[in-house]
Amino acid sequence: MGFAFTEENLEELEALAKRYPSKEALMLPALWKVMEQDGYVSMDAIDVVADYLGVPPMKVYGVVTFYTMFHLEPVGTYHIQLCRTLSCSLCGKGEILQYLRNKLGIDVGETTPDGKFTLSQVECLGSCGTAPVMQINDTLYENLTPEKVDEILEGLK
Amino acid sequence: MSETLGRKVKISVDGRIIEAEEGAILLQVLLKNGFEIPYYCYHEALGPDGNCRMCMVEIEGKKRPQISCDTFVEEGLVIHTNTENIRKVRREILELQLINHPVDCPICDQAGECSLQDYYMEYGLYHGSVEKGKKLHFNKHLDLGRNVMLDQERCVLCQRCTRFTTNITQTNELGIVWRADHSCVSTLPGRKLENGYAMNLVDLCPVGALTSKDFRFQQRVWFLTPTPSVCHGCAKGCNIFVDHARLKYHDDTIYRFRPRKNPDINGYFICDDGRLSYKALQTGRLEKALFEGREIGFDEAVRELKKSVECTTGRIVILADANLYTEELEMIQIFANRIGAWLYAPLESYIDEKFADEWLRNAMRAANAKGVEKLGIATTMPEIKRDTLLINFNHPVADSLDVRRRIDFLTHAEGPETGSRADLTLPIAVWSEASGTLINIDGLEQRCEQVIYPSDPVPTVIRWLEAYELGERCIV
Repeated sequence: MGFAFTEENLEELEALAKRYPSKEALMLPALWKVMEQDGYVSMDAIDVVADYLGVPPMKVYGVVTFYTMFHLEPVGTYHIQLCRTLSCSLCGKGEILQYLRNKLGIDVGETTPDGKFTLSQVECLGSCGTAPVMQINDTLYENLTPEKVDEILEGLK
Repeated sequence: MSETLGRKVKISVDGRIIEAEEGAILLQVLLKNGFEIPYYCYHEALGPDGNCRMCMVEIEGKKRPQISCDTFVEEGLVIHTNTENIRKVRREILELQLINHPVDCPICDQAGECSLQDYYMEYGLYHGSVEKGKKLHFNKHLDLGRNVMLDQERCVLCQRCTRFTTNITQTNELGIVWRADHSCVSTLPGRKLENGYAMNLVDLCPVGALTSKDFRFQQRVWFLTPTPSVCHGCAKGCNIFVDHARLKYHDDTIYRFRPRKNPDINGYFICDDGRLSYKALQTGRLEKALFEGREIGFDEAVRELKKSVECTTGRIVILADANLYTEELEMIQIFANRIGAWLYAPLESYIDEKFADEWLRNAMRAANAKGVEKLGIATTMPEIKRDTLLINFNHPVADSLDVRRRIDFLTHAEGPETGSRADLTLPIAVWSEASGTLINIDGLEQRCEQVIYPSDPVPTVIRWLEAYELGERCIV
């Protein structure tokens, strides 16, 4: 219960603050620090960030929900983010999604019972030329086919 | 822009030449001159936001249609508001709005005063060209607290509500969350609206997304007659519309109060306590005169009143409610002089510091406190001896006074105790059933016309005292 930035993160944020025109502009870096610390953004953390930046908590909540990279709840060890924007949708995202659902036995927004995988759909990952794509944690995987998905998931176990 | 604002320039709108201030918001100028321009996000109190795209007009020399809320008046603008192209643009924007909008107008409280419904009829979107897939569904009854209910499916995301809590009340409870077609208005999880002006959100909402818990499902708006009046909740004197109706099998009934624009007093808004104060006007009312615990008619009541007053040898003290209209107070003043009574309207008992804030809620919770002062009525508490005859015109302090003989003129029957303690209890009309003037805390005098005409009206203070003067039945 309760959230507080670590000393280290606070120092880093103070250093970053000098680069921005206002404290409010530190919103995304501050949220990234929260994600690094906890793996997700709790309601307590939203209050702490809002207080730190001097903005209403509602504003922080709006930003957290806008970006699919921030989570309001803990996610699995591997967070699978499948791109659902135009190019990927046209190039077979639907098939990949169906395959992932069946393989993992979970729907979008759910986590496997062992806490290993979370499945999400996200907006454009900026790799339309190699659609369909997905990002697992910080790694991008391109030109997906069911076989390739098997291979990738195998490598993670 | 601000330095040029104020210079009068001429612009042409649909062939009509109109004069406007340079730098003024074009939409505002068009609306003021009677042009019908559809819009959601713009509101006089909140300013333009430019997100709804409904207020498009054609401006000669500009390639594409422009939103008139983000266009500023300059000399020689030539504008067309209703060309075939503009109608097409509006129809297309509506079409996008309607992709996920539920068609639940038959059960929607906003039906009849809904911008979406009105514009749909005006711009004739009878066949959409967007393929209608399965609509997205959101929460249809989210209780935001403070009597405000949110139907996220009906929302057009104009952000008037979020701008109200951000800019006007500065309480920041509302925001837009998620994105694209999943965007919706929300509070923080587990938190609610926390300001005493929240019900204004219901008026601000151009569609049926925000509805009042108090008014929803109560009455169809097209049956309501809006009568202008003034709120009696405190001495601020906020201007309101009293929405009422006399429907089959029912007496004239008030269904809601809404704010009425008055830049000198309340701007566009009223507080929630004032808004809900209509309820007290039609509950717990005293309707019949009581003499020694038994109901009596008007003529007999006047005779008993006369008898009591004329047989009194001791002092007579009159207490008058500072919510009464100036005309009623004047009449009481004349009455007091005639019978040699001491007249007081103690103001101290109306002060409620907890109610007050810096905006519209005033600590003086008597609508006509200034009227009392203007008439020179004593505002201190009188000393009352036990043999005094107390004549009380609905003053709240009277209940705590211990006198042997009293006559009460009351709007509300406050339990049997009060009724039995007074020798004579006479019902008087509430403010919505009478007319007169009020002077608000800032000294502004406002006239209130009678709003409600009950089938069986309760006499007003003036009617009682006129009858007393005449000593016989007063024919109305």
